[in-house]
Amino acid sequence: MSEAAYVQSLNLVVGGLLLTAVLMLWWRELRAIVRLLVAQGVLLAGLAGILAIQEGDSQLYGVAAGVLLLKGIALPAVLRRVLRDGREATESEPLVNAASSLLAAAFLILFAYAVSRPLVALAPSPATRALPVGLSMVFLGFFLMISRRRAVSQVVGFLLMDNGIAATAFLAAAGVPLIVELGVSLDLFLIVLVLQVLTARMRLKFGGTDLDDLRQLRDS
Amino acid sequence: MTVIAAGLLIVALAAAAGALGGACAPARIRALLAGLLTALSGAGGITAGVAALSGQSWSMRLPHLLPLGSAELSVDPLSGAFLVIIGAVAVAAGVYSVGYTAPGGSHPTDDIEPAHETVPDAGGAASRTCQATLPLFVASMLLVPAAASVTTLLLTWELMALSSLVLVLADHRSRGSVRDAALWYAGMTHAGLAAILVGLVLFAGGTGGESFVSLREGADTLSPGLRSAVFVLTFLGFGSKAGMVPLHVWLPRAHAESPSHVSALMSAAMVNLGVYGVVRVAFDLLGGGPRWWGVLVLAFGCLSATYGVLQATVATDLKRLLGYSTSENVGLMLIGIGAAGIFAADGNRPLAGLLLAAAVLHAANHAAFKALLFLGAGSVLRATGLRDLDRLGGLAARMPATTAMFGFAALAAAALPPGNGFVSEWLLLQGLIHSLTLGGTPSVIVAVSMPLAVAVVALTAGLGAAAFVKAFAVGFLARPRSDAAASASEGPWPMRAAMASMLLVCLTLGLAPALAGAPLTRILAMLPTVRDGAPLAGSGVTLHLAGIAGSMSPLLIAAGLLGVAAVVVALVRSVGARRPRRVALVWGCGGTRLDPRMEYTATSFAEPLMRVFDDVLRPEHDVTVTPYAESRYLVESVQFRQRVPDRVEARIYPPLLAAAAWWGDRSRAVANGSVHRYLAYGFFGFVAVLIVVGFTA
Amino acid sequence: MSTQPHIANQVVLVAPLLGPLVAAAAGGLLGWRRSIAWGAVAASVLILLSGVLVGVRTVGGGAIGVGTVLRADALTAVMLLVIGAVGVIATWSGVSYVERELAAGHTDERGARLYALLVPAFLAAMVLAVLADNLGVLWAAVEATTIVTAFLVGHRRTRASLEATWKYVMICSVGIAMAYLGTVLVYYASKQATGGAGSLSWTVLAVQGDQLDSGVMRIAVALLVLGFGTKAGLVPMHSWLPDAHSQAPAPVSALMSGVLLSVAVYALLRYRVIAVEALDPRFVRNLLLVVALASLALAASLLISQRDYKRLLAYSSIEHMGLVVVGLAVGTPLAVAALLLHILGHGIGKAVLFCTSGQILAVENTTEIAHVRGLLARQPVLAGTFAVGIAALLGLPPFSLFLSELALMRAAAGAGMGWVIAPVLLLLVIVFLAVARHTVGMLFGDQPVPANDNSGAAHPMRLSRLESTPLVLGLVVLAAIGVVAWPLQPLLQAAAAIAGTS
Repeated sequence: MSEAAYVQSLNLVVGGLLLTAVLMLWWRELRAIVRLLVAQGVLLAGLAGILAIQEGDSQLYGVAAGVLLLKGIALPAVLRRVLRDGREATESEPLVNAASSLLAAAFLILFAYAVSRPLVALAPSPATRALPVGLSMVFLGFFLMISRRRAVSQVVGFLLMDNGIAATAFLAAAGVPLIVELGVSLDLFLIVLVLQVLTARMRLKFGGTDLDDLRQLRDS
Repeated sequence: MTVIAAGLLIVALAAAAGALGGACAPARIRALLAGLLTALSGAGGITAGVAALSGQSWSMRLPHLLPLGSAELSVDPLSGAFLVIIGAVAVAAGVYSVGYTAPGGSHPTDDIEPAHETVPDAGGAASRTCQATLPLFVASMLLVPAAASVTTLLLTWELMALSSLVLVLADHRSRGSVRDAALWYAGMTHAGLAAILVGLVLFAGGTGGESFVSLREGADTLSPGLRSAVFVLTFLGFGSKAGMVPLHVWLPRAHAESPSHVSALMSAAMVNLGVYGVVRVAFDLLGGGPRWWGVLVLAFGCLSATYGVLQATVATDLKRLLGYSTSENVGLMLIGIGAAGIFAADGNRPLAGLLLAAAVLHAANHAAFKALLFLGAGSVLRATGLRDLDRLGGLAARMPATTAMFGFAALAAAALPPGNGFVSEWLLLQGLIHSLTLGGTPSVIVAVSMPLAVAVVALTAGLGAAAFVKAFAVGFLARPRSDAAASASEGPWPMRAAMASMLLVCLTLGLAPALAGAPLTRILAMLPTVRDGAPLAGSGVTLHLAGIAGSMSPLLIAAGLLGVAAVVVALVRSVGARRPRRVALVWGCGGTRLDPRMEYTATSFAEPLMRVFDDVLRPEHDVTVTPYAESRYLVESVQFRQRVPDRVEARIYPPLLAAAAWWGDRSRAVANGSVHRYLAYGFFGFVAVLIVVGFTA
Repeated sequence: MSTQPHIANQVVLVAPLLGPLVAAAAGGLLGWRRSIAWGAVAASVLILLSGVLVGVRTVGGGAIGVGTVLRADALTAVMLLVIGAVGVIATWSGVSYVERELAAGHTDERGARLYALLVPAFLAAMVLAVLADNLGVLWAAVEATTIVTAFLVGHRRTRASLEATWKYVMICSVGIAMAYLGTVLVYYASKQATGGAGSLSWTVLAVQGDQLDSGVMRIAVALLVLGFGTKAGLVPMHSWLPDAHSQAPAPVSALMSGVLLSVAVYALLRYRVIAVEALDPRFVRNLLLVVALASLALAASLLISQRDYKRLLAYSSIEHMGLVVVGLAVGTPLAVAALLLHILGHGIGKAVLFCTSGQILAVENTTEIAHVRGLLARQPVLAGTFAVGIAALLGLPPFSLFLSELALMRAAAGAGMGWVIAPVLLLLVIVFLAVARHTVGMLFGDQPVPANDNSGAAHPMRLSRLESTPLVLGLVVLAAIGVVAWPLQPLLQAAAAIAGTS
């Protein structure tokens, strides 16, 4: 792949990642958000693929395939099952409305750019220049978790964070060592399964997945 | 093996055996085992202490104990003095406990308010836990003066606090106030430990080693600010243990609520360790300091002495009275130490030595008479179940031995000859009075503070006399004011034996104080800023003060007093013999027979003083008039209640506690159960940290 | 730092991993029964033994390893001892705990099987975390503990336990994700420092620490402190801890509070060695101090008017972790030795207390402090254990926490951080007063009026030998390590030489 094509495709993929992240914060339709997650998984796999071509690293192809399988197919499938079991297709009144969310998103992206300056400065390259996007996704995911009421939305926020970290790992160091990658993926998958079971139990016990019902344990 | 090592080994082994015996032995011999082994442990302390006071010294390092710290022990004359004091009290308390915890004490009667003044049969003090803890308490107290590293000192100090806390809690089942007392005690003692810990750890951190040897060597290299911080922190910490006002709040509570032999140990032995700590750190480890250290100690001493004695004069609870009197006596010791600090800073060594010697001697004297007083109070409590003076009385006929011994101790506590308290207070006054006549023109501080201190000591002596006249006269003389007091009888003989041993100590110290001259000189020789000649000299009969023109002979005074008393008695007898004896009713205001309710009570005795010090004490009166149902002009009964709350306590502590409670309630809102809120803490924490990271790049 | 290849080393390192895994597999396949439960105890003993053996081999310095994956030095040995000791107490108490839960109908056959599967797996995950040389594997193992314990926290399947589980999983996952981001950045820095082949091996990173880019490492360290701090129960992501610890079965709370928190601190201990090389040590110190003091202050504030004794113990864990991180901030060898001793002492003490509080709950049917009164009169052994455990936890001698706290303060003063001591001790005094007040209330006082007919007061339940032995044993060990220096002190010093910097 020529340098120009590499940079262009990289920027395209990274731009797509950021776009999906912002859209997740904007939209309230949960099924659509899960579709965004699929897109994000595919984009991440694409990112790994592009880096694999650029670096000529055969191991990275395998990682790309794994990412596609886990983040593009398996995890969204789990979330879809959660949504199918329940009848809550839309996020009920979020704690922060869409306009404010987008404003916050803008601030967070700016903040990510400010914070990640030392990261870029260490080894400026097309890939590391995109690092702020990874960090932005982490911030946006975190923000999503504190601003949405539904259990599923929190899981989505968590996955967005995780995708952000994965993107950071790819952009900064073309992925972490394989043994770590494997451990991390396994953990992520299991965590989502655990959260799925918990959501199901929550529906059973509380008759819904509104996290505001979870206020029994407290000191005040 | 040296005598000191052997003595300390006895302390440890006897205490271990006593704890084991107290925990495992069958109930019949438990009291005997624990009590006697406690006494043996105390005897070991006396042995080691006497050896140290006669000039031996000893130190030891135990490398395999105390991970991350060094376990070091060392005994010098200063440790020796306190080993002897604590050991002697421990011997008496150990023997006493054998009788005190034996079955057969007074049962609480129905007409007594349960929260205030009942003691059950033998009480919790006879329980397995308490019997096992008693020897440990004594051993940990004896190890405190022997400790020679920061870790060892703090460890033994806290062990002492913990074991005494368990003993304070002995009667928790019978009285709710025990819980309260224990909490106050635990809180104050822990706060005190924290202050000492900070002080000593800063000291050790500054000198680079934690053994006392390296502290002594490195003390000069510390900055003046750090030295003062170390001094102030340790002074406050040790002061709280010594019952110094305003850190005394635990003392009247804990000393009143614990079993009486434990009260004796706490009031006569443990409190002295606070004084030991102040002397050890300020004069020995830090090697003396600027003049204001002395002024600070003197000020706290004056406050404690005045406030303690005032509260004692108006107290009606016998053990609380003794507790406040402890605060007073600690105040006197602090006055001595503070004044010694001032003169040491001025380079006036004879006076500094004299005053410090007076303070240490007063510690010994106070230990002897206060132990006797608490043991006597314990005998009364065990016989009657009462601590309230207003319900006692008439014990002289029923408990003659206890009455006599308590009476002598009261004399000593009132600083009257031939009691031993007189000697040390006289020394103290001599030192303070001569401060102005000696050594050229006195500095302003000396010119102002010494006369004030003299006034405080004089006031204390006067009010102290009133307090103890009240305690003895109302508590023991006249007719009994309650059935419990009327049916009192002497307890088992070990109790009286223990009291007799303390009486002997009081007499010895009171009549032959010159015996203490050589040991006191050895103590002073250790301290760099005070080191100078012999403060006390003289044969057994006359006491001479070195450096100033003062001498006194307690023995001659006692003989003179005895002579005068004999003459008076003989005169009365001879006059009385001329008239025939006539038996008649005492005049009862023309109506009734005289009954105990007409007697002078402790409250009424203290009433004039209460009026004088009304502004300070602020008593709370509560008069309830109950009329007959038929007519509200006819009174059926009048109830008068008077409480003298501790004003110092009420000013300082409730606001602090209320603030803490308010803060605790407010901060509960942090954990309001919302997972969003919890994640938000993380989010904003994360953002804040990244901002800081970004800006400090 | 030479790694001696030796077949015995492999056995010593693999056995503590394999033992719990076998026990877990047996529990999962065969379901709950007494022999399986004793198998879990045996697995804990195995961990303890391997800790001793590793300690014997590494006390003179050096390390042993299996391939490039597992590696153990003196620091690992101490952590293995902590995991083993707390594991023994928790699994031993677990035997009767599950039986009692089954008898009371709080759980069923399936729940018991899950318990038998997950508890040893939990132990295995923590052992992997301390044995891993690769910091990425360490991270994955810590994250695995969250997964394994999720269903243990929710074991009772009540609404409250479900709520606790959700909060626990969510907050910890987010926190630990931060730590992962930090790990990725460390890898990035390492890759740039060596020009290509980056590494996450601690052995490698500890050597090349000073070559790592300080700009990247600052961000990485901040993320790691917050991330692993979440798992260690530190402010600001501490909120899961009181909920999870109060809802989990008592032996699981014991394991979580006693070891899991310390394993997270262990991760920070390892990272600190790299961080002080790469960065201005003052930055690391100040960051850790802020987090530690905030945690201490929070714990002290919430202990003042705490109403639930299990939450009280949980907040006390936050307090102790704050104290441990103060030691981490000081970072001198004495401080590290002290904090390791503190971790061990806190682990054992807290394990005993959580197991005791589980039994108090079984007797009294309430976790409200105000509803437990006069316990000493009714349940002398139980109340005595509780009282002694609290005394140990409050740092009273002869228990080891007294000496470790004292050594921590001495280390701080010796490192020129004397000013830290005053606020720390002030907060500790507040904690002491608060906890003492609540404990005195529970132990003494008038017996409560029976609220309902099936309350424990109506049917006094005595502690069986099986239940009381591990608790008393734990307290005896706690006192022993607080008085006798050998054999722990040399090992602590060897570990401090690895992780401490002057």
